[in-house]
Amino acid sequence: MRSRLSHHLSTAALICFAGLGLPALLRAQNDVQKIYKANCVLCHAADGSGSSASGKSLGAKDLRSDVVQKKTDAELTEVITQGKGKMPAFGKKLKPEDITNLVAYIRALPKGK
Amino acid sequence: MRTADFVPARCSLLLKTLCPIVLAALMLMVFKPDAHAVPSYSRQTGLPCASCHFAPPELNAFGRKFKLDGYVFKTKPEVTDDKKDHNAALQLLEAFPLSVLFDTSLTSTKAPQPGTQNGNFLFPQDASLFLAGAWSNHVGSFVQVTYDSQADHFSWDNTDIRYANNHELFGKALAYGITLNNNPTVEDLWNSTPAWGFPFTSSNVAPGPSAGALINGGLAQDVAGVGGYAMWNEHLYIAGTLYRSEHIGAAQPLTGTGSPINIRGTAPYWRVAWQTVSKNDSLEVGAYGIHVRSTPNAVVGPTDSYTDWAVDFQYDRTIPQWKSDVLSFRGTYIRENSSLVATFDAGGAAFPHHHLNTVQGNVEYHFGTKISAAAGLFHIDGTPDPLLFPPAPVSGSADGDPRSGGYILNLSWWPVQNIGLTAQYTGYTRFNGLQTNYDGAGRNASGNDSIYLLARFIF
Repeated sequence: MRSRLSHHLSTAALICFAGLGLPALLRAQNDVQKIYKANCVLCHAADGSGSSASGKSLGAKDLRSDVVQKKTDAELTEVITQGKGKMPAFGKKLKPEDITNLVAYIRALPKGK
Repeated sequence: MRTADFVPARCSLLLKTLCPIVLAALMLMVFKPDAHAVPSYSRQTGLPCASCHFAPPELNAFGRKFKLDGYVFKTKPEVTDDKKDHNAALQLLEAFPLSVLFDTSLTSTKAPQPGTQNGNFLFPQDASLFLAGAWSNHVGSFVQVTYDSQADHFSWDNTDIRYANNHELFGKALAYGITLNNNPTVEDLWNSTPAWGFPFTSSNVAPGPSAGALINGGLAQDVAGVGGYAMWNEHLYIAGTLYRSEHIGAAQPLTGTGSPINIRGTAPYWRVAWQTVSKNDSLEVGAYGIHVRSTPNAVVGPTDSYTDWAVDFQYDRTIPQWKSDVLSFRGTYIRENSSLVATFDAGGAAFPHHHLNTVQGNVEYHFGTKISAAAGLFHIDGTPDPLLFPPAPVSGSADGDPRSGGYILNLSWWPVQNIGLTAQYTGYTRFNGLQTNYDGAGRNASGNDSIYLLARFIF
């Protein structure tokens, strides 16, 4: 009886997660994609390669490269927040959680390489 | 082809009315509006001017993309209706995108214009206000109003308001948009087309050749157009705009009175260009043109028609071993075929069919972002017509020939990126058809050689 109840609860929890949690995750993923598109694509290109015309002219980093990927999350956060070299600072425009999500997004870029 | 002032003795009343108007139009065309870099873009993006410009107003690849995307890229805080929603219905810049330009200049010609002072100090030459920046996430503007010290009033200047977006087409990036503008080629991305072409600044005082193609500034700020553009795969750029006459300061609805160009129907402008960009090289080749049917001084009656076909190129080479100096080559050729039936009927042309060729080329070396040196050549020739290009002191032609040619040398220094000091020398090998006594009043082409000194402040 107890195991059946436990099974039902687990199923309900899964349904709740699927119904509530998963869309939230997808929405967050969708949001960070929009943030990346609005702020980063101009130089770093959609795939993070920095191969856009403007990226080439400014020497934008390949976000998938070891040089970038070996940086810690804190270092990437600092670069996005404060800017570095020709890259402008986004700390006054983007919220801290957006920058955290962007760092995670950048981490995921090599998977699509 | 633009008409010069007509022979007074042979002018009809209509032509006499047209003379000052045509001259005013010529002044607008010859002394084309200056082009600028705008600090409010810098305030919006958090980037220095040099991120978009080799030297203002010359756009690099990043600057072209910024313009292509509708002037909306920003890194600064915004006012939104819901800070948790990235699809907010309101996203306004916290800083109002306003900029100011102040130009003061000195012009001296080799020979003074009869009865006038030489060495003219304009303080200011002009002053501009810009509304330049993002209006929303996808709409932005370059809007300029300019005070002209000779006319002593503000007037609407170059304007480009655009919607832009990005998607994919056939798996490649597609940037596209809609533009509302008032000058054919003002929406263009390169500095090889007229609106943003060399010379980037010029005197309001020195005489200029009387003939020029319509697309080479002849419609600037005198038309209104709506068009679309697209850049596919960062290589292929196409654009098109339909223009109507919109005479600033004229009563509405338009009667056409007092205006040498009154577009009948719409005037289609077209543009196609191909570019390739690498880390150190940027090459563009393209074509553009416009077809205009116009009735001088009226909106009904016989029409003149103009068809301008043009090709252009721009090549920028960054030299990393020389501190990222940039060497630029630019050029354009414009062929204008015109059928001036209305002007011929009114006695302003000896025959209806004319053509005009314009060739402009220049080379520029940018020493970093502070100094640039440029040299350019220009040549105009076309169908001689003693009625269309009649004799007149300084501005006329003794033999009715529109041929002019010469060179321009420019040295600019930007001690800081929003203050520019320029020295520019313009020399003529031929002016309105001849080298000597070109106007029939004893003036030589070289008499119009000019030295032009400009100080520009933008903030």
